[in-house]
Amino acid sequence: MTAELLLPLLAAAVQTGTPILYATLGEILTERAGVLNLGVEGIMMVGALAAYVTALATGHAGLGFAAGAGCGALLAAVHAQVCVGFRGNQVVSGLALTILGTGLANYLGTPYIGQSIPGFQRTALPLLDQIPILGPVFFRQDPLVYLSYLAPVFVWVALKRTTWGLNLRAAGEAPEAVTAAGLSFARLRWSAVVLGGLLMGCGGAYLSLAYTHLWSTGLVAGRGWIAVALVIFAFWHPGRAVLGAYLFGGVMAFQFRLQALGTHLPSSLLLMLPYLLTIFVLVAASVRRRGQAPPAALGVNHEPPD
Amino acid sequence: MNPISVHKRTDPLTWPAALILGLAIVLSLSVSALLLHWQDKPARDALVILFQGAFGSWHALEDCTIKAVPIFLCSLGVAVAFRLQVWNIGAEGQFAMGAIGATWVVLQFPQWPAFLLLPAMMAAAALGGGFCGLIPALLKVRLRANEIIVSLMLNYVCILFLEYLVYGPWKDPVSFGFPMTMVFPPAAIVGAIGSSRLNWGLVLALACAVGFWIFFRFSRLGYELKVCGESPRVAGYARLPYHGLVIAVMVTGGALAGWAGFLEVSATLNRLQPSIMVGYGYTAIVVAWLARLSPASIAAASLLLAGLRVGVENLQLEMQVPAAFGGIMEGVLLLTVLAGGFFVRYRVRWRGFS
Amino acid sequence: MRKGCLLLGMIFLVWMVGAGGAGAADEALKVGFIYVSPVGDAGWSYAHEQARLAVEALEGVRTAFVEDVREGPDSERVMRNMARKGYDLIFATSYGYMDSMLKVAGEFPDTVFMHCSGYKLAPNMGNYFGRIYQARYLSGMAAGAMTRGGQIGYVAAFPIPEVIRGINAFTIGVRAVNPKATVRVVWTKTWYDPATEKEAAKSLLDVGCDVIAQHQDSPGPQEAAQERGAYSVGYNTDMSAFAPRAHLTAAVWNWAPFYLEVVESVRNGTWKSTAAWPGMEKGIVGLAPFGPMVPESVKTRIEQEKARLINGETRVFAGPIKDQQGNLKIAAGETASDEALLGMTWLVEGVVGTTE
Repeated sequence: MTAELLLPLLAAAVQTGTPILYATLGEILTERAGVLNLGVEGIMMVGALAAYVTALATGHAGLGFAAGAGCGALLAAVHAQVCVGFRGNQVVSGLALTILGTGLANYLGTPYIGQSIPGFQRTALPLLDQIPILGPVFFRQDPLVYLSYLAPVFVWVALKRTTWGLNLRAAGEAPEAVTAAGLSFARLRWSAVVLGGLLMGCGGAYLSLAYTHLWSTGLVAGRGWIAVALVIFAFWHPGRAVLGAYLFGGVMAFQFRLQALGTHLPSSLLLMLPYLLTIFVLVAASVRRRGQAPPAALGVNHEPPD
Repeated sequence: MNPISVHKRTDPLTWPAALILGLAIVLSLSVSALLLHWQDKPARDALVILFQGAFGSWHALEDCTIKAVPIFLCSLGVAVAFRLQVWNIGAEGQFAMGAIGATWVVLQFPQWPAFLLLPAMMAAAALGGGFCGLIPALLKVRLRANEIIVSLMLNYVCILFLEYLVYGPWKDPVSFGFPMTMVFPPAAIVGAIGSSRLNWGLVLALACAVGFWIFFRFSRLGYELKVCGESPRVAGYARLPYHGLVIAVMVTGGALAGWAGFLEVSATLNRLQPSIMVGYGYTAIVVAWLARLSPASIAAASLLLAGLRVGVENLQLEMQVPAAFGGIMEGVLLLTVLAGGFFVRYRVRWRGFS
Repeated sequence: MRKGCLLLGMIFLVWMVGAGGAGAADEALKVGFIYVSPVGDAGWSYAHEQARLAVEALEGVRTAFVEDVREGPDSERVMRNMARKGYDLIFATSYGYMDSMLKVAGEFPDTVFMHCSGYKLAPNMGNYFGRIYQARYLSGMAAGAMTRGGQIGYVAAFPIPEVIRGINAFTIGVRAVNPKATVRVVWTKTWYDPATEKEAAKSLLDVGCDVIAQHQDSPGPQEAAQERGAYSVGYNTDMSAFAPRAHLTAAVWNWAPFYLEVVESVRNGTWKSTAAWPGMEKGIVGLAPFGPMVPESVKTRIEQEKARLINGETRVFAGPIKDQQGNLKIAAGETASDEALLGMTWLVEGVVGTTE
């Protein structure tokens, strides 16, 4: 593939990877506190619809983004209540949320199919976009992509450098220590799930506000599930999540460019690539685990000794 | 001080299970009524139409039963896996692979008579679905890879594989280039029972149900499965082969879903085409969780959810309610049951503010 | 066990309550429509829906529709349901409904069934389609005239004959005005997925295409074209609202005249089962208005060609036409038969891409 195709491909990888990045960061936050949230797909759909509808109604894409994030947090709160409040099975609750979120979004979103909004447009950052290679790839994107460059930093700082983050990680590794220290275990997990949902909602909002300026029933198309897998690939670290997300974006963008170049490979097989890659990275991550274990209390509802 | 005190019950309540499910259904309907009202549709009429569409006539019941059979088969396999805390989300892909396996037999041996062809198709379907279930099981057992993700990704892969086959090597030469295999010869079609629209797949489903009941009631392996599910640690102490059981349940679940796929291509569509995929695998997850391990419960829940699908279609026809409505009801149902489970396992007391 | 029996009991109760209540007899002609995607998609189903509204406006006619119906047993159930409720005429608007419709037609001999884009017939079942390829041919001419680099991108859905036919007609049109131009094809295997289709369009733009055409129903590719300053050709409906600076024209459907005709024929009992394939001469297919960027000379040329298509002077698939490998598929002086067109699985010379 020629050099002049490589840069657009990398730029496309960044765009395609951005919603996955937001969602992965949200899931990392949630899982670090010990809660497995499999409802990412449903939350992203609701976030995408909320963002779209708000942007359509108010004319402000920024408000739409906020609405998408907010609704994502709201839906995640349901998961928090069921898992943390009612100590329900986390796997099933997440799946229920996916079914519910997808159903809600498709049901409420049906009247909005086929309309377009201005949304976020691409704006090149002055000076930065002149940097060779990095410029065209990273600095000629839309504002939500630029925001996604900051998100991993925030998540990392929150987890590693704040008290809240420390307590949150304790809730995920050693719940007994948390209650012994007199902290509210439930509140910690709640905050992680809701904040995680906020980020997932951002990912969904990106799809309907910037990636396309449309809403459709198949908008998320499995990206939520890829995010869950990427969390494992990233070993629950925000930094590696960036790598994983862009890698995926690259594969998804790549298979279309292969077709455009006139390959004779059947397109069905090419379309399998992202999903096969997910299995592959999962296996690779599991093989290389040695010392990089998931949070010890992940998926386990803690029984406080009340 | 938290005004509500929560104590884990030493003996979880057993009687409210059906009550909780009933409550869940009521709540689910209420939420649905609210949503309908929000969209300016008469909620009460809508619910009546929903019921009538699902259960309001022999014809509707027939539709429900036909639809419930593949859901039931998929759910049976998924429920067994769930019992072991093995999350088989791949029923869709296993369904597809079963259909592909059965089709392969037909395309290879179209001239065989029914008594050879149908069992061969069933065997191939079980193999195909079972293989699809084996992969996440092996990866889980050997590499501790999360079976949820692997089985889910395989869903997408298997469906794309199906598309590849019907657009490419298996495309029907006489169908003007449309993506479908040739029509199955009569020997490959599972026929209807008498003059009804039900097919003999119903008998297969019933046989599986009875088989499972016997297995869990009277066999040692069935007992082991129940024990392992209650507590993997107990299973460890008893030196039960956890890894082997994981593989067994995933393969069995895959084979059952594969049979559902076989029935779909043989009895319902009489050929293989992409539209056999209608989401039975995902509905099976809901059923499996609602119904736990009793085949009777699974059958009832399958009928319920099949009824929901059929009823929602009727709702679409009469009131133009979007099809996604069914998904909302399923989701609320599941969440309510989960929340209800809390009250079964915990005692909640109001302690007052001190 | 107890839970299961209780549940079965509840279901029975519900059934007893819900049973009964058949609909009253109706004098109006009841027409049902079955769509494969949501009507708001601004595409295929939307175009049919517009026609349904025209039918609804008729006196003494009542219509209803069910959207987003999956092909296979679901569609069979919906059709059967409609027929049992006394619908007199049912339209099913996707090729995948064919076998189901045939089955149901056999069970309800008094109902008229019309299947779109298929090929099976029965005494009470006809099929129909429109010669959209004529519009595609004309839109190809526009694309060929407006491309600067000579590379045109085509975002295609599924490799079925109608899509392949569309690509071919489009390419023939492109090459009629620009013999050196090529058309690159990318398959998305979707009918309505804006994100995927936009990505496919972007990939075509990346390899150097400066006009994007599509077969899907979403405006995703239009958006991609406008963002890059390229041109675009829409499909199903006028998509200029989504990409006013890029949208050259679109190949559009106009089902109303045909549907009204069928409804009238059923009403006065003159309906016959046929394989109908009307085209531009009946107004079933057409071109959306040209965008402001199209020069007068191009517009005139296309209008002239359109007139010649309508009065039969030109045919789109008139030989000599070669396939991608250079084999002569349609000889000079010959025109492709309807049957050859319906089963078209090869791509013409000038197309870069596979049919898989």
